[in-house]
Amino acid sequence: MVVLWKKLLREILSNKGVYFSCILVIVIGLLSYTSMSIVLENLERAQGKFYEDTQFADGFIRLTGYPENQVNSLENLTGVEKVEGRIVKDARLPEDEEGRNRSLRLVSMPFPEQPQLNRVELIKGNIPRGNSPELLLDPKFMAANQLAVGDSLTLILEGRVVHFTIVGEAQSPEFIYAMRSAQDLYPDPETFGIAYVPTSFYKNLVKEGNLVNDLVFSLEPGGNFEDVKLLLEKELAPYGLQSIFPQKDQTSHAILQGELTNLATMANSLPMVFLGVSSIILYTMLRRLMEQQRGSIGTMKAFGFTNGEIIRHYLNYPLFIGGVGGVLGGLSGVGSAYPLTTLYGEFFALPGLESTFSIKYFLFGMVFSLGFSLLSGLKVSLDILRLDPTEAMRAPAPLSTRKTPFEKIPHLWQRFSSLTQMGLRNAFRVPTRSIFTIVGMAVVFSLMTVSWSLNNMMDKLTVYQFREIQTYDVKIAFNSPTFSESLRYTLAHEPGVSHVEPLLEVPATLRNQWLEKDVALIGIYPNSTLYHVLNQKGEKIPLPSDGIILSERLAKLLNVKKGDLILVESPFARNYEEGQEKSLVVQEVVPQYIGINGFMEIGTLQKLLEQEGIATSAILQVYEGDIGALKKKYQDADLVGSVESVKESLAMVEEMIETYGFTIYFLAVLAGVAGFALIYTSNIISLSERQRELASLRVLGLTPKEIMVVISSEQWLLTSCGIILGIPLSFALMEGMAVSMSSDLFAIPKEIPLGAFAGAVGGTLFSVWVAQTRAYRKVKTLPFVEILATKE
Amino acid sequence: MSLLRGKGIRKTYLTGEVQIEVLKGLDFEIVEGEFIVILGQSGSGKTTLLNIMGGMSTPTSGELYYRGEPLHNADEVKLNAYRRSSVGFVFQHYNLIPNLTAYENIKLVADIAENPLSVNEVLQDMGLEDWAGHFPSQLSGGQQQRVAIGRALVKNPDLLLCDEPTGALDSKTGIQVLRALLKLSRENRKTIVIITHNIEIAKMAQRVFYLKDGLFEKVEVNDYPLKPEELLW
Ligand SMILES: Nc1ncnc2c1ncn2[C@@H]1O[C@H](COP(=O)(O)OP(=O)(O)OP(=O)(O)O)[C@@H](O)[C@H]1O
Ligand SMILES: [Mg+2]
Repeated sequence: MVVLWKKLLREILSNKGVYFSCILVIVIGLLSYTSMSIVLENLERAQGKFYEDTQFADGFIRLTGYPENQVNSLENLTGVEKVEGRIVKDARLPEDEEGRNRSLRLVSMPFPEQPQLNRVELIKGNIPRGNSPELLLDPKFMAANQLAVGDSLTLILEGRVVHFTIVGEAQSPEFIYAMRSAQDLYPDPETFGIAYVPTSFYKNLVKEGNLVNDLVFSLEPGGNFEDVKLLLEKELAPYGLQSIFPQKDQTSHAILQGELTNLATMANSLPMVFLGVSSIILYTMLRRLMEQQRGSIGTMKAFGFTNGEIIRHYLNYPLFIGGVGGVLGGLSGVGSAYPLTTLYGEFFALPGLESTFSIKYFLFGMVFSLGFSLLSGLKVSLDILRLDPTEAMRAPAPLSTRKTPFEKIPHLWQRFSSLTQMGLRNAFRVPTRSIFTIVGMAVVFSLMTVSWSLNNMMDKLTVYQFREIQTYDVKIAFNSPTFSESLRYTLAHEPGVSHVEPLLEVPATLRNQWLEKDVALIGIYPNSTLYHVLNQKGEKIPLPSDGIILSERLAKLLNVKKGDLILVESPFARNYEEGQEKSLVVQEVVPQYIGINGFMEIGTLQKLLEQEGIATSAILQVYEGDIGALKKKYQDADLVGSVESVKESLAMVEEMIETYGFTIYFLAVLAGVAGFALIYTSNIISLSERQRELASLRVLGLTPKEIMVVISSEQWLLTSCGIILGIPLSFALMEGMAVSMSSDLFAIPKEIPLGAFAGAVGGTLFSVWVAQTRAYRKVKTLPFVEILATKE
Repeated sequence: MSLLRGKGIRKTYLTGEVQIEVLKGLDFEIVEGEFIVILGQSGSGKTTLLNIMGGMSTPTSGELYYRGEPLHNADEVKLNAYRRSSVGFVFQHYNLIPNLTAYENIKLVADIAENPLSVNEVLQDMGLEDWAGHFPSQLSGGQQQRVAIGRALVKNPDLLLCDEPTGALDSKTGIQVLRALLKLSRENRKTIVIITHNIEIAKMAQRVFYLKDGLFEKVEVNDYPLKPEELLW
């Protein structure tokens, strides 16, 4: 019926602000849903195919050295299918003009054959010939360093200079997210990359070329990782076994998988928040519409319009809004999936990652949008059924005559002006609507708070680590555990060095009954000024002379608390044998945002290992201007594995934060938009509902400013309730996020800084202010004569 | 032939704790093509009776038949069908739909009628051709009233029920409107029931029902009904 469609469009146009904001919120919801779902699908598809094509291994082993010619015999172990032995070592590039520390991880491959497991996908060029100084390089490193196939590359491996030729670009499933160490958090292709070198050539370059220091294996169908691990541990223990871990703990895989899980959670929850908010706006609007149009509904009924016809007409409102929002949101979502996929491609080197056009999620999105919109129209429609034509035409909307809670406190109530009283009463007139508005505001408020807290989180995950915990300037890692007073003396007398401390980091298995976890134990120099263990409040706590300090997450995983005993076993122990456990008291549990570790005083750890005086690295405080020279001097030294300058790492991390920061503000802005839409609607509805009353007040001679009091008092009441409810909700949301997003690699801090609340309150108040300015303009131009002239 | 027949029609309203009996047992029979006027003081129950006749509410007790079909025990669906296909209603308070123009208010109803009149002709009959595109808020009370009448007329219904259709009109427009109503009744043998406070209008009717305190005080048969232009406003 054309006439009814005209009626609908007119109504929508006359309240375009509200309907527009509702559509906007739907668009935001569907945009996030569609784009994230498509990106997720793209990533999962590429991941699945790549893993299968390249035979990604099920298990990973690190050890000091295992005879290459014995590797095949490991396949006889029950549950093991294939085993591949590799030499994996880091090689340095000669210093470039900027003096950056660039290195490549060299992985041996039986070229010209591909390995059985963790093959590489050749992207450009050729597979290297056997026994030749040729290598394949990962594409990110190539691009970041402006290298091309055919270029020659000089590397320094174990102190020897070797000249290679780059014959191709290749990607392995093991290094989709290529980080130097798990502590890094981000890949930095400018300074770190992966290279694949023919085994036949590689083994002649390194000292013990017939030993492999890295094994990967696959399980037989139905094979159990834990069972296989036990067998392997027994077999490999004499060869300096450091760790055996399953695919799910492999760094690159764990990060990719974590990202996929987060993306899935976000894709499923974030849109629901926005669609929920849009439903609240729509419900509020439709309910108001229905009240306003009781007369029209009655008249239509009187003229013989059936309930079906009338309900269909009123359902067209949400369907129209949901449809427009759905189409716009879905299309923009499909559109933004492409750049978003490309962005993910920057972080994750997944060959075959491409954005496909997906009508599926567009349609799902439409269904969500229409579903949520219809839902909001449904209850209102039921009210139509109940309306009797004569009733509808006669009586205005039934007013609740119940007293508001404020009126029950006469002292308070009498302090309000009668205009304020009118406003406050209105908030209680349609309680369901007020409650929805408050809940909506609370949800949006908590979303804003959490977005603002992400700032703090990023800070805790990055800068905090370097400014408060690892306060040294340079870390010199040794090839094998050593340390001596003479070494210390030498380092301490280098120019610019003001302080030197040994650091001992060893792999260990911690156990409490049946719960166990493989972590690195960190032995810190007593009263260290370069490496700190901080408690919840960020205060430095002294290292106990016996026992161990655990990170919160580790304590949780092992289900232990301060004062409990845990069992520790480390392959670094002297005369290490399987099952050789010692017990330690948990002296303290502290928050840790990056990694999960146990902290001990270095002497206590040495005693535990029965290895007096060892350390795996030296940490130094160095005058900034002397760092370069120090690096130059030591990075090629025989016993030095790497020299790392914290300043460089920090600069890199800060750069990354800036990129992430954008996402955070974007989320905060989206939440702000939804919040504004909600507050705006609430204001406009309140205004439209009271039009007659306000028009009468105008006729009586009140100024628009005085009349605004009626509206603003109601709005301030709802807003403050929304904020008050939003505070506990923020904590719950943060807690939920911390639990679901934390992993062994990093932990999300749970606390919400005051600034985040201030930001969210500020955002909310700003929204109220803007909405009220709009409402005020409407009050000023209220056509009160016309309003009073017509009967509704 | 009997078009609408009522027997012992009673209507009680319950407001809060208090029951008030507005109609106290009315008997009537209206024949097809008749022109009836209902007179009565304010609050005597005229609108209540018209609502029952139009199937907008049901009597508390008593029987009502339209062309022999019982309406007093009809369900909402049947009542709605009756209103849709047989009745045209002019409300005392007009009840126009505010965000539809005069034209659209009439068109809306024409769209669901079985054999509607032309919307433009009706607008002309009501003297509203210049106001077709105006919204109710832009019309005077009398103009709004004429839109309300036009909306009922356009359905070309068998039974036209008008609640004070000329209350807001001056004599000239009033007569024009009444003439249009009469034309419908004469040419198409439609039945018309009009509520009025204006005793002059009663002179047009074939029969006049006097309602007082919920009962018919008397029913007057008018052998020589006047033409609208003969009325002394
Ligand atoms: N829905 C209702 N609920 C309660 N009382 C009602 C209702 N409708 C009408 N009444 C009462 O019934 C009585 C008759 O009302 P009605 O509207 O039929 O009078 P009327 O004769 O049309 O009066 P007027 O000439 O003023 O229009 C009035 O006293 C009125 O208060
Ligand atoms: Mg009346």
